[in-house]
Amino acid sequence: MKTVITAALAVTLLFGVSQSALAVDRGGTLAYGRYADSLFLEPVLNDGNVDIWVLSNLYDTLILPTDDGQGLRPGLATDWKVSEDGLSVTLTLRDGIKFSDGSPITVDDVKWSLERAAKPDNGIWQFLVQSIDHVETEGDKTVVIKLKKTDPAILSALTVFNTGIMPKKLFEAAAGATDAEKAKAFAEHPVSSGPFMLQSWQKGADMKLAKNPYYWDKGEDGQPLPYLDGIDFQVIPDDATRILKLQSGELQGAEFIPYARVSELKNDDNINMELFPSTRVEYVTLNVRPQLNGKDNPLSNEKFRQALNYATNKRAIIQIVTHGVGTEMTSFMSKATPLHAGDTPLYPYDIAKAKQLMSESGVPAGSELTLLTLAGNQDEVGIATALQQMWQALGVKLNIQQVDNASRTEQYRAGTFQMRLAAWTDDIADPNEITSYFAYSPTIDAIHTSWKNDEVNKLFEQSQSETDPEKRREEYARIQEIFNSTGPIVPLYETPYPVALSKKVHDFVQIPLGNNIFRSTWMSK
Amino acid sequence: MSLLPYIFRRILQLIPTLVFILVVVFVLVRLLPGDPASALIGDRALDADVQRINHELGLDQPLPVQFLYFLKQVATGDLGNSLSLKAPVIDIVAQRLPVTILLTTMAAVIALLFAVPLAFLAALRQDGVVDTVIRGVFQVGLSMPVFYLGLVLLTVLAAGLHWFPVGGYGETFPDRVYHLFLPALTLALSLAAVLMRNLRSAIIGVLGAEYVDFARAKGLKSRLILIRHVLRNALISTVTLFGLSVGTLLGGAVITETVFAVPGAGRLMIDSIYGRDYPMVQGLTLALAVLVSLTFLLTDIVQAWLDPRVAR
Repeated sequence: MKTVITAALAVTLLFGVSQSALAVDRGGTLAYGRYADSLFLEPVLNDGNVDIWVLSNLYDTLILPTDDGQGLRPGLATDWKVSEDGLSVTLTLRDGIKFSDGSPITVDDVKWSLERAAKPDNGIWQFLVQSIDHVETEGDKTVVIKLKKTDPAILSALTVFNTGIMPKKLFEAAAGATDAEKAKAFAEHPVSSGPFMLQSWQKGADMKLAKNPYYWDKGEDGQPLPYLDGIDFQVIPDDATRILKLQSGELQGAEFIPYARVSELKNDDNINMELFPSTRVEYVTLNVRPQLNGKDNPLSNEKFRQALNYATNKRAIIQIVTHGVGTEMTSFMSKATPLHAGDTPLYPYDIAKAKQLMSESGVPAGSELTLLTLAGNQDEVGIATALQQMWQALGVKLNIQQVDNASRTEQYRAGTFQMRLAAWTDDIADPNEITSYFAYSPTIDAIHTSWKNDEVNKLFEQSQSETDPEKRREEYARIQEIFNSTGPIVPLYETPYPVALSKKVHDFVQIPLGNNIFRSTWMSK
Repeated sequence: MSLLPYIFRRILQLIPTLVFILVVVFVLVRLLPGDPASALIGDRALDADVQRINHELGLDQPLPVQFLYFLKQVATGDLGNSLSLKAPVIDIVAQRLPVTILLTTMAAVIALLFAVPLAFLAALRQDGVVDTVIRGVFQVGLSMPVFYLGLVLLTVLAAGLHWFPVGGYGETFPDRVYHLFLPALTLALSLAAVLMRNLRSAIIGVLGAEYVDFARAKGLKSRLILIRHVLRNALISTVTLFGLSVGTLLGGAVITETVFAVPGAGRLMIDSIYGRDYPMVQGLTLALAVLVSLTFLLTDIVQAWLDPRVAR
C-alpha cells in the first residue's frame, strides 16, 4: 500500500512539475549583450554578420530554417513546390499576414522583395539568389519564382536574410533617388515583417526591438508570438564587462563568451552556458603561388603543405586556444554544413610522417614563412605561437606579422600574403557558398591562394544545377576529398557559438549560420 | 586690464592650426594600408563589389580632387556620411562627442576634488605620515593600468556591492552622471596623482617665498594667506599641466569607454580607424581638435587671469 501511495505521489509530483515546465510566461524585455553593434539593418545591402545575425528578428522570409539550421519550415509561405523541370518554384502565401504597421503583406511585396535581392550589383549577397530570373504572381496568394537555370539550393536561399520580405510601397516612398539612398532612409524607421520591430537605436550603444503586434505565428498558449515584449541589444565590446553585467543581473544574455571563461560559467548556478552548434571553422590559408614578392614560395609544393599539416598538433591547439571547446575538422566545411563528408579528423598529428613528407618535398630546412595575424586578437596570437613551435620540428622558421584587419584584407585580396589565419561561417544552409569561395577558383581564386583544380571546378559547376540529390551528394563528397587532401589550408578546428544566458531565459537559439532567434524565447517570472 | 584682445588673438591663432590638422588627417588616414571597401565587406569582397563601392564613395578620384571636395564640404558645415554607419558624420559626432565631454569633464572635476585638498594637506605636513600615505596611495593609482583599475572598480563596486551599474550609459541626465561615475573615477585617479604631486611641490615652493612670510608678518589670517597668496601662485604651473593632460584624458577615455561600454567618441574613433571610415575619422578628428584647442585656450585664459603677465 505504502508503495502505491509513494508511486501515486511521485506521479502527481512529476505531473505537477511537467505542467509548470510547460507553462510559458509572457512579457518582459530581454537585455542581450553584444560584442559589436549592427551597422545597417537592411536585408539586401548589409555587409556582414553584425547585421545578418539580428535581421531575422525583423524580417521574415517565405521559408524559415529549422533550429538545427538544416531543414525548412513554413514562414510567410505555407507551402511550396518546385516544378518538374526544376525551373520554377510556386509558393502559397499564408492568410492574414501583416507588416508591423498593420498593413497586409501582399504578393506584390514578395515579388518586389525577391527581385530586388536578385538584381545584379545590388549588394554583396546577390550570388545566393542569382538563379532567380523574375517572379510572377497569380491571384493574391500565389507567387511563382522563375529560374534562369535549375538551382538545387533555391529553397535554402529562400530562408536567407536577403530574401526577407519588405513593404514595397513604403520603401519606394522613402527619401532618395537610388535604391541605396532609399534603403538608408527606410532603415532609419523600418516597417518590418518579422516577430519584432525596431523601436529605437542609439548607434554604437543600444538598440531596442519591440514585439510586432501583427506577427502571424502562434505560441504554445495559442496567442500570437513573440512571447517577449521586446529585446534590448546593448553593445558591450569588453568580454569581461559583458560577463559581469550578466552575472549582476543587468543582462539576461551575452554573446561571444571567450573560450577561457566557458567552464567557469558552466559552474555558475544562475547561468546557462550554451554552446550552440555552428558552421564556424578556423584555418590557416596558404598562398600557393610559385613566386611571392620575387622569391620562390615553398607553399606551392603540395608535399610541403601536407608536411605542415601533419606537423600541426590540432588537439593541442584546441586545448591551448579554445580550452577544449573546439573540435577537430573532418572536412574544410563544418559538420553542420549540409552534404559535409568525412568522419575522421584531417591530418592527425604525426611528426614522423611530416618529416618524411618534408624530405620528399625537397624544401630545405631553415625555410622561412610569414603568417599574418590580427593585432590584438588573443586567439590568433595563441595559434600563431603554437604553430611557430610545432613547425620548428620541421626546421621551418615562422615569422608572425601582426596587422589590423584592413591591412590584412588588402594583402589577402592582392594575393601578396604568404599565410594568414582566418575563420568562416556559412550564410546559407547549403555547401555551395563555402565551396564557391574556398575551392571554385573563378570566384576569388580559392580564398585568394591561386589554388586551382579543374575537376573541382567542373564538379562545382555541375552541382550548382544538379537536381538529383544523390548525385549532388557524390559531387560534393569528391570536391571535399580533393580539397582536403591537396588544398591550400591547414584546417585547425570548429567551434560552437558560446552564449551565456540567465537561467530565466528559455527557448533562445542561435542557429549554425549564426542567426540569433528570439521568436519563441520567453523569460520565467 | 582687459583680457579680451588676448582672447581674440588666441582664437585667430586657432584657425591655421585647425586647417593644418585637417590636411594632416586627410593624408594620414589615406596612407594607412587597406581601403574602406575591403574593410567594410571584409574577406568575402569580390573585385566588382570593391570597385563599385569605391566609385560610390568617390574614392576612385585623384587625391587633390577628393581633398578639394572635402574642403568644400567642411566650408559648408557638412562632414559627409559615415561609410560604415551610413549616417551623416555631423549627427554621429553630435551623438557621441557629448558623451566623451561629459565623461572627461566629470573625470577632471573628480581629479581636482582629490588633488587640491590632498596636495594642501600633504604640503602642509611635508614629509610627515599624512604626506607619505597620500603620496604612496597616489603612486599606486598612477602605476595601475587604466583598464585594470576599471575592471577592479567594476567588479567590486558595481558587480559586487551593486552601488553602481556595470557599465553602459543611462537615458536621463542624472542617470548618465550615475552611469559615468565609475569610468570618470577610473580616468580621474591617474590624473589626480599627477596633479597632486605637481601642486604639492608648487605649494611647498610658494610657502617658502618671501611674500608669504611678509603676509604672515602683516598678521593676515592663515586661511586667507593660503587661498589668496599660496594657492593662486601655486596653481599656475598646475593649470598648464591640467590643460596638457586633457589630451591624455581623451586618450584614456578610449580604453575606459571600451571597458565600461560607454558609447563615446573615443571608441568610435578606434572603430572608424579600423574600418577605414575616412569621413568619420576626419570629422571626429576635427571635432576633437576643436575641443582640445578650446581647452588650451581656456587654460591660457585662466593662466592669464592668475598671472596677468602672461597676456602681455
